[in-house]
Amino acid sequence: MTADTTAHDIEAPGVRIRDLTVVYKTPAGELPAVRGVDLALAPGTITGVVGESGSGKSTLALSLLNAVQPPGRIAAGSVEIDGLGDVLTLRGEDLRRARGRQVGYVFQAAQNSLNPLKTIGKQLLDLGRSHDVEDLRGLVRDAKDLLARMGMDGARVLDSYQHELSGGMRQRVGIMLALVLNAKVVVLDEPTTALDMITQATILRIIREVHEERALTTLVITHDVGAVAEVADSLAVMYGGRVVEHGPVTEVLGDARHPYTQGLIRAIPRLSGDLSLARALPGRPPTLGTLPTQGCVFRERCERRMDVCETDEPMSVNRDGRTVACHAADRHLTLVKRKELV
Amino acid sequence: MTHAVPGRPRLGAIARKIGGHLVRGLAMIWVVATISFVIIREIPGNPVLGQYESLIQKGMSPEQAERATAVLYGFLPTGNLWQQYVGYMGSLLHLDLGRSLSTPGVEVTTLIGHAARWTVLPVLAGTLLSFLLGVTMGVYAAIKRSGKLGDALALSGSLLHGVPVYVIGLLLTAIFATLWPIMPSGGPVDVEFVPGFNAGYIGSLVHHAVLPVVTYTLASYGGWILAMKSNVVAVLGDDFILAAELRGLRRGFVFRYLARNAILPLFTILALSIGMLFGGSIFIEEIFNYPGLGLLLVNSISSRDYALMGGTFLVITVGIVVANIAADLLYTAIDPRVRSGGAA
Repeated sequence: MTADTTAHDIEAPGVRIRDLTVVYKTPAGELPAVRGVDLALAPGTITGVVGESGSGKSTLALSLLNAVQPPGRIAAGSVEIDGLGDVLTLRGEDLRRARGRQVGYVFQAAQNSLNPLKTIGKQLLDLGRSHDVEDLRGLVRDAKDLLARMGMDGARVLDSYQHELSGGMRQRVGIMLALVLNAKVVVLDEPTTALDMITQATILRIIREVHEERALTTLVITHDVGAVAEVADSLAVMYGGRVVEHGPVTEVLGDARHPYTQGLIRAIPRLSGDLSLARALPGRPPTLGTLPTQGCVFRERCERRMDVCETDEPMSVNRDGRTVACHAADRHLTLVKRKELV
Repeated sequence: MTHAVPGRPRLGAIARKIGGHLVRGLAMIWVVATISFVIIREIPGNPVLGQYESLIQKGMSPEQAERATAVLYGFLPTGNLWQQYVGYMGSLLHLDLGRSLSTPGVEVTTLIGHAARWTVLPVLAGTLLSFLLGVTMGVYAAIKRSGKLGDALALSGSLLHGVPVYVIGLLLTAIFATLWPIMPSGGPVDVEFVPGFNAGYIGSLVHHAVLPVVTYTLASYGGWILAMKSNVVAVLGDDFILAAELRGLRRGFVFRYLARNAILPLFTILALSIGMLFGGSIFIEEIFNYPGLGLLLVNSISSRDYALMGGTFLVITVGIVVANIAADLLYTAIDPRVRSGGAA
């Protein structure tokens, strides 16, 4: 888990998301799916983002490529990537070139991210031509190497259509296409969703290995806390469009400070032991329409809510390398009993 | 699903597929020929026997009358059904469809061949034009669907799709042949030109073909634009289009991914409508007095020319059967998912 990334730190770019707000146009007006998110991805690390459906994590991921789809719109903030500048100011050709070349994106349900009518190899060549790769033979060689690295027969895969590959193979092809142009920032949106356990484990191992080999800065979006625990260095927890807690993965999971994070961890069923130990978080995640406009977004489901939660939105407070946005965690941090957290 | 080489079926598999199609196609044609044989035999009043008897009444000997009728219909009017059927099928194998009644003595195949010349080219031109136009506009209508241009295009499609072809034809004739007479009102060609490969004749042919072709194009344009628009909108929502954009693919590539996936289902319809063209377009040929297959069919029905009717139906059937086979083979060629015979 603790990767020796020092050798790569010089190469890997850092990513700083500042005050990012993304709104979606709805009949009820523009509603924020991501609101005021500050998140720094340290160079050469894997940052995991977890949250329930609708917490804004996929929207956050798309923001890194300035690719929020209508009716969504990035309303405010900046996404600074070293060597690229603020992605949100990029337009047209500049933006297109940055996508794929500097920021690789592994699509949510990457199993459907391939053109069904073209072989993988031809799509690879389209990608190379789009980014003015002169040495297309070299590109094919790199692709084969990457595929071999992920335990596949490169030549055979490049000669295949998507329907001739299994889900896990397509996912690896998606990862190959995100990496083959040597992108140093890689965003993986739900990379293991809809895969069986064995394939999940393989994909996670591959992500970890390739990340270290290539000195990448990686963002992994998932709703699976277990998956994130396996690959990430740091963990950001999203709820209702906010990052409610962020810190090193072992600390956040081992000593969660935000009541939502604590609830998430309690909800994980264990493979061994009593299944009833897993407790589901009461209530439902908010949707764009039900998100409270003032106060804490989590208060409806929170067992530690206080009067102040109704009126004031908690600020992100940074303490010894961890940020938490919670009035209760803020005030009672020292009072919280440790046994409750483990 | 495993292959020796993925996506590349062996030659033997292709040959087997084509062979299977041919056998099925021939079987279908045989079934239709049989049905049309039985129907002509069983039509009230029995035209074959009627012809036979009227010839005898005119003073022919039964043997002469039988031979004359056999020449007309391609099968013997007397004898048991089975013998007649075998005789009919035998002449079919020689592409002998009998002789026309309304144009006495002329072989049905000759009549059909003449009419086909006036049908195939204009209808083919109309089909292809409306396909190209409808598909192109359909893509625009889909991409600009939230703007005024997209609305206007979709509306034009719905309107034209709803207007019957004869209304379009009559309207065009009224405008361009009567109100503002720049186009001939009917007929396939002006009589003063000598048929042959000369500028005057060909110019006149084209001049006369304009209104029928435009009518045909407008009549089927609406269907294409609406189908293409909904296909493009569906493919736009597919993950791989967004994925291609997120990989930074050039707009040209993304557009090609989009267009090729969206147009795929339309090729089947296109192949089938090309097959239908042997039926001609009854309304258009009637309005523009175009002596094509549609008009031939109408005339054969109104003059109770059963041999011609049977022959025309058979040609239409063969056209559709062949188009079906072509559509299937075409799909195999352009969709790799069909090619390897597996589900996507």
